[in-house]
Parts: sequence; structure tokens; C-alpha cells
Amino acid sequence: MYKIGILQLTQNLDTAVHGFKQALAQEEVEYLYFNVDGTVEKLPAFAQKLVDENVDLIFACTTPAAKAAIAASDHIPVVYTPVFDPVSVGLAQSMECPGNHATGVSGMVSATDKVAFIEELLPEAKTLGMPFDPNDENAKIEVANFKKAAEGHFTLIELPIASETDISELSELLTDEMDAIFMPIGKLLEDNFASIVYYTDDLDLPIIASHAPNIVGGAIGGLAANHEALGYECGLKAIEILSGKDAGTIPVGSVKTPDVLLNQYTADNLDIELPSSLVERAKEIYN
Amino acid sequence: MLLNRQSVEILAPAGSWEVLETVIEAGADAVYLGGKRFNMRMHRADTNFDDEQLEKAIKYAHEHGVKLYVTVNNLISSREIDAMRDYLMLLERIQPDALIVQDLAIMELAKEIGFTVPLHTSIMRNTHNSESVRKYQEYGITRIVASRDLTLDQIRLMREQTGIEIEFFIHGDMCVSQSGQCVHSGVVFGQSSNRGRCLKPCRWPYQLIDEETGEVIPDSEQTGPYKLALKDMCMYRHLPELIQAGVHSFKIEGRMRTADFVKRIVSIYRRAVDRYLADPTSYTIDENDWKELYENRSRDFSTCYALSNTLGAKLIGYDGSREPRFFSQAVKEATLDVKAKLGKDESPAFKARPQLSVRVASLSAVEVACKNGADIIYIGGDAFRPNKPWSLADIREAMRIAEPYNVKVVVMTQRITPNPILGELEQHFTALKEIAPDGIMVSNTGAMKMAKEITGLPLYADFSFNTFNHYSTKWQSDNGIVQSTMSVEASHEQIVDLLQTSQSPIELIVHGPIEAMVSEHSIPSAVLGLDNEDQTPIYEHQYALLDTAGQKHSIRFDQHGKSHILLANDYCLFPYLPKLTGAAVYRIEGHIYDDEHLAFLLQTYRAELDSLYAAPQEEANVDRLASLKENAPRPLGIGALRFRVSR
Repeated sequence: MYKIGILQLTQNLDTAVHGFKQALAQEEVEYLYFNVDGTVEKLPAFAQKLVDENVDLIFACTTPAAKAAIAASDHIPVVYTPVFDPVSVGLAQSMECPGNHATGVSGMVSATDKVAFIEELLPEAKTLGMPFDPNDENAKIEVANFKKAAEGHFTLIELPIASETDISELSELLTDEMDAIFMPIGKLLEDNFASIVYYTDDLDLPIIASHAPNIVGGAIGGLAANHEALGYECGLKAIEILSGKDAGTIPVGSVKTPDVLLNQYTADNLDIELPSSLVERAKEIYN
Repeated sequence: MLLNRQSVEILAPAGSWEVLETVIEAGADAVYLGGKRFNMRMHRADTNFDDEQLEKAIKYAHEHGVKLYVTVNNLISSREIDAMRDYLMLLERIQPDALIVQDLAIMELAKEIGFTVPLHTSIMRNTHNSESVRKYQEYGITRIVASRDLTLDQIRLMREQTGIEIEFFIHGDMCVSQSGQCVHSGVVFGQSSNRGRCLKPCRWPYQLIDEETGEVIPDSEQTGPYKLALKDMCMYRHLPELIQAGVHSFKIEGRMRTADFVKRIVSIYRRAVDRYLADPTSYTIDENDWKELYENRSRDFSTCYALSNTLGAKLIGYDGSREPRFFSQAVKEATLDVKAKLGKDESPAFKARPQLSVRVASLSAVEVACKNGADIIYIGGDAFRPNKPWSLADIREAMRIAEPYNVKVVVMTQRITPNPILGELEQHFTALKEIAPDGIMVSNTGAMKMAKEITGLPLYADFSFNTFNHYSTKWQSDNGIVQSTMSVEASHEQIVDLLQTSQSPIELIVHGPIEAMVSEHSIPSAVLGLDNEDQTPIYEHQYALLDTAGQKHSIRFDQHGKSHILLANDYCLFPYLPKLTGAAVYRIEGHIYDDEHLAFLLQTYRAELDSLYAAPQEEANVDRLASLKENAPRPLGIGALRFRVSR
């Protein structure tokens, strides 16, 4: 019987936990489960509780949870997801050999894939507005990656939005030159998405989002990591670790086949026909 | 009445299968959950149960001796009626223990199809007086979710007067507005809080300003930017009061919460209730359980209005630090420059010359209305200070003024009429029977029932009925309503749908202020530190809330001290009148305008409606529109017409 601690930041990641447990369905496991419901400051204390319980392994959902779990002990293995870029945030020394008694699966969808997706969805689009939170580490990484990948494909107009209240003024930043909006990941804008799509709708600007709920909320489409699949892959890594392998030597995985998500209601409102090639591949088409 | 194990039901939310299993294990007596269709938690694709899971969940709950209620508590539009009927057929087959419903249409549909599953009214019906309860009992409703704005004493009275079973929110997220009476999200974002898509404008930061000078009123030490952010309800320390008030079902909020979170709450209440029921005299609060509940709280706790409705600043979490997440930020509301999204169907032709109605706040305005083309004048109801409530003498005088013009005078009632105010209404209606105005406009089903029984006068249903479909208008007309007002959250397509399908006359509000929220909480009192003091200083000024998009939301106090918070832009559908033909009546909410502007508005709309009646037009008259824009004392906008569908 194994004892596994689960440290979760928000309920949005229930599906990742579900996938993780699926992978371990054949094992005998007792789970100790903590969800701090969005309160990052609580993570270290709960990580410590898991260490005190002497769990065999911690499954940490999100970067802050992973940081707390790794810091809480020098030996209890940690498996994490959906950490966007484990190397740049210091969780892993490298993707191949992460060290730190931890490994996991990155939730990053490659910027090249996203560029190709936008070209397929909106073949006419040339100039993209890109609102992002300049204080969000993950957003900065994605912006840098996307800029590189978009070279020769799109002209990008960066729209830094540093605080919640700045979202109220987004309409001042949107211009006629933009054909569409690409939203990199980042909690600030993802949470307040309704106010962003409120303004872009006014200008008939389609949004390509990176966060699945935003596609339900009115973006025309997006490529998003499937959290359940990420969780499942973490579960497989957990099995390797429980059978004796050192977590720090197991390469960090990445999103191989992101979900294609589309919104037909939005497409109708914007008078855009969703390409059949994407419709066929879509995991979900929201109405 | 003696208590037994069945006296109290712990009712837990279940947003997913995992939560369902967990809360049943934790000791819930009943669970409530939504299907994928027509329920109040529509933001997340991964919550709620599909049809097959729903059936399994019912079976699972019953195997464990637990009741299961399905929330079908969205307003529905006319074109959703058939889908709703299908859904009810499915629910009839799989037999949950009850449905929790909002739309009056469901009571009508249930009758039509011989539905056998019991119906409970949802919190969104804002049930706050005994007459409403009696009306619902006529439709076989066996339980109500009592309004969250009532005190336990008011709930006890409602229970004693009607014998209805009471469900009450005892723990979790709350609304600062009266439930089911907030249209902020619906009008501004086209995502209605009455349809499970609230984007929570009450969680935005606001500054309080003096509306006349624009001056910001600084926050006191007790207040801060998040002025409408109501704390979470927690009645743990008051369980004996709840039980003795006759609350049967202890409802825990949180269909989007995790299993872990809900489990803790259920188990802690379970233990306390069991101890109380077993031996009430020896019951004391378990301080360890309280500590656990408190330490794991989401927002800070309050008892909201249950013990008193004058709690002021203590109700609000001003610094926003414990807000679990935000759903939107303030936006600039749609102006007249924004183009409406028109539906494909054309509105029907006029059946008769369109009538123009107007709500006024003074006798001088009655005269203005008569002289400038009004057919119906609404007086009475909620009076925004400094206006005084209408006296019986004022009503007689208004009728005397209107009589030679052959203009109808209809007396409104206040929007929220809990039992004490309903007592006053009984007196009022008895007098009105003698005075015999042309009709009474009622704002809730209790006032409707009482007005019908006492006066026998024609009844009009106000926008607060949230009328969205022709089954709802049928329900109303069966109950003596001669004219229903379309919900202000409707899009063009939805308005046209109702105009095409309703058997009874429809009134459209086409111009005037829209009340985003109506609340027991007074923001100026809290900011000025007047919680338990004399409230008169707040009536010496007009206040407004300034949001981060620079929009000013006027606050108006009525005669009972309730706050009516207006949207920044007054509604103006003038540009779209050619596409909104076929309503019986077009209303100007004129009670906040001066007589001169009111005369101008009435002339403008009268002329436009008459020319549309004479011959259909493609576009509204350009000169009249320009003049409307130029003379507007407050910013104008098109509200929910910005959206193809109000969702």
C-alpha cells in the first residue's frame, strides 16, 4: 500500500487529479488530498503536512504547488503538472534530467503548433494583438516563444496589461490593424476573460485563447493541454518512481497532442466559417 | 412541534460525481445538482451531469437513502420551451425527488404534461412573502427556497402562515442584490445571472462619489474598494435559531467547489445538527469544529441578513483579498454607437395603434404625460428619494388630472414586499378598490395574488417578473395579469420571439434607467460609518459608484432605505423601434427625469411610434434620434441588444 499526497492549487485541476488516479488505478494507494482553493500562501503549510505524514510521493498541481512540495523535504519525490516551463522557473535543471527529486509533465503547448493552428483557423489574419500580463512569469515565457514562432507568419502587437483594473481600459489599446487576438496563458487575463471578449466583440475581433474555459467563454478557438492526459502521464511517472527509480532522473514530459477546441456560437456571431479540417479534429465544439 | 431526526435536512451541492459520493459519505440527507441543461452553473464545461450520469446519480443517491434534487433553475426563452418540455419528460422518467425551478413556465409545462416530480421554487424566485407561497402552493409547489434577504423571524412567520417547507442557504457564497433581481451581468455582458452565467459585477472595485460634484468620498477605516463584495454566509453558530425558526432544509452553497471543501462543511454541520436534535437542551457549539470551519473558509463569514438586516460594513469583504477568483472587470457599457445584433426573424406587425406608457414620480409629471401623448401612466411603487411615496390623495389627484385626456392611471407596488410591507399593501389595495384606478402594476407574485383578491382590478406585471417566454405570460394571464413586461435582459431575437408567441399583450421598456441591482445594503451608510446611526445624512446627497472603466452607477434610495443601483447608461431602444414593432405598449421609465425632458421624450417616442404604425420603416427617424442624443441628461445605451442572444 502506497501513501500518496496530492497538493492542488485550484479546483480547475480536478481533471488532472482524475487522470493521475486513473493511471494508478491498479495500484493500492491511500491518497492524502489537499486543495488550497486558490490560496497560494497556504501551500507550504500543506506540503509540510504531507511530509509529516511521510508520504511516498507528492503529486503537485501547478508551479507554486510543485515549488512548495519540493521545498518541503529533500527526499520525498514530487511529480508535477501542469507546470508551464519547469526549467525557467527553477523546478528542473533540464527537461532531460530534472534533478531536485522531482519530475513531471509540462503543460506548455508549443508556440509553433499555436501559430499553425491560427493560420489554419484564420487564414486571412496577418496582424495579431497579444494582450498579456507582464508580471506573469509563464505569460512572459509564452510571449517570447510565440514571438519567435510567429516570425514570418504574423505581425504581433503586444498589449501588456499589468493589473485587473487595466482590463477595463483594453478598448483603448485595440486598433483597426488587428485581425485577431492571441491570448497567451496567464491567470489574470484568463480569469477576467469576459471583459476582454466584451471589447473584442465590439470590433468583431476573434480571440484565439490558450486556456480551455476561455473557449467556452467566447474565444473562437484554441489549442489547449488536456489536463486529464497530463495527469495520467504523471501517474505513469509515479509508478516508475514507486518501483524504485529516482524522480530526478526521469525526463520531464510535454504536451504531445493538445486538444483542438472551437466555439461555433462565437464563429456565427463573427460570421466566420470554421474550417472543416479543424472541425474534424476538434475535441469539443461549444455552442 | 417536537424535533426528530427528520426535522432537519442537510442539503449538499454536487458539481461532479466525486463530490456526490463524498458528500453522501459525509452525511448529507439530500444533494442538489444540475444537468447539462438549464441550470445555474453554466460557466464550466466540466461541472454538471449529463442525462446518463443524472440517472445514475439518482440511483446512487437512493441506494444510499439520500434524496436528490435537480436544479432546473434558469429562465428560458420562448424558443427553449420545446427543449425544456423534452427535458422534463426525461426527468419524469428518471424521477429525482424534486426539481428546483425558477421560471414560471415550468409550473405551466408541468401542468401540461402531468409532471409527477415535486417542484421546489429556486432562490432565483426571490420568494419573500406568504402570499407568493400560497400562490405557488396552488401550483403544487411543496417547498420554497426562502429569500436570502429575509430575517429568520420573517421566515418563521412565512412558514407559520402557510405551512410550507422551508429551504434556506445556511453556508456559502451570497448575492448582495436581491436574488433573481440583478440584471447587471445580463444587460452589460449578455450573460445573465438568471441563466447561470453571472459574471459578478458585485465583485468589482468601486469608489463612492457624490453624484452632483463628482467628488470621491474617501473610505473609512472599515471600508475599502470592494464595496459590494458580500461575505460568505455561515450560520454554524446559530443552528438552534435556524431550527426553531422552522427551517427544514439547510442548504450549503457550492456546486463549483471541490469534494474536499464541501465534505468538511457537510460533516461539521452534520455533527452539530445531530447533537442538537438528540438533546437540544444540552447543545453547545463545538469550538474545534468551528475553528476548522473558520480556518478553511473561503471568504470571511457573516450571518448576512438572517439575524438582522442592518449589519452595514460588517457584511462586506472590502479588501478583496479573500475573493476566490474574479469573473470579469468593469467595462464601458454599450452606448448608442454600438450596433445591436438583430435576430433573423422580423418582429410582428402592430395589431393596434401602439400605446405609450410612462412611469412618473410627481403630479406635475402626470400632467406632462397627459399632454404629450402618453396612454398609460404608472405612479406609486418604489419612490426614489427625495421623492415621497404616493399618498392615496396623490393617486386620486393623478386620476383627476388624467381623466379628461382619457389616459389610464395604473398604480405600481414596491418591488420587494416581505410580510410587513405586504400588510401595508393589504390596506393600500383595500383603499384602491374604492379609488378604482385603471389597474395595478405588481412586482411579485404575492402582491399579484393579493391585488387580484382584494381589488379585482386589471393587473400589470412589471419587469421584475423576469418575463422571457410565452408560457410565463400564460401563467401570468391565468392569474389576472392583463399585460406583461419583457425582461430587460432580452436580446432583439428574444424580444421578437416573445412578441410572436405570447397570447397576451407585451410591454417593452424602451427608454430610461435600468436598475442593475436592488439591495438591502447601503453603501453610503457603510462608507460614512452610519451603520447603526441616524441614516438621514445619506439622503441629503445623491451618491453613485464609480467603477474602474469610469462608469457612474447612480444609487437611489427608496422609502424603505433599499439601494437601487442603476446601470451607467440609460436604456434607449429608439434606433431599433422599426425592428421591434408588434408590442402592445412601449414604456418610458421617466421617473428620474425632469418634466421638460419627459415631455420631449414622450413627444419623440409618440411621433416615432405613430409613424411606424402608419407605415413600416427600415430605419428610425434620424432627426429624432439625433435630438434624443443631444438632449440626453444621462448617457444612453442599447443594453442587451448588443448581443444576438442573452445567454
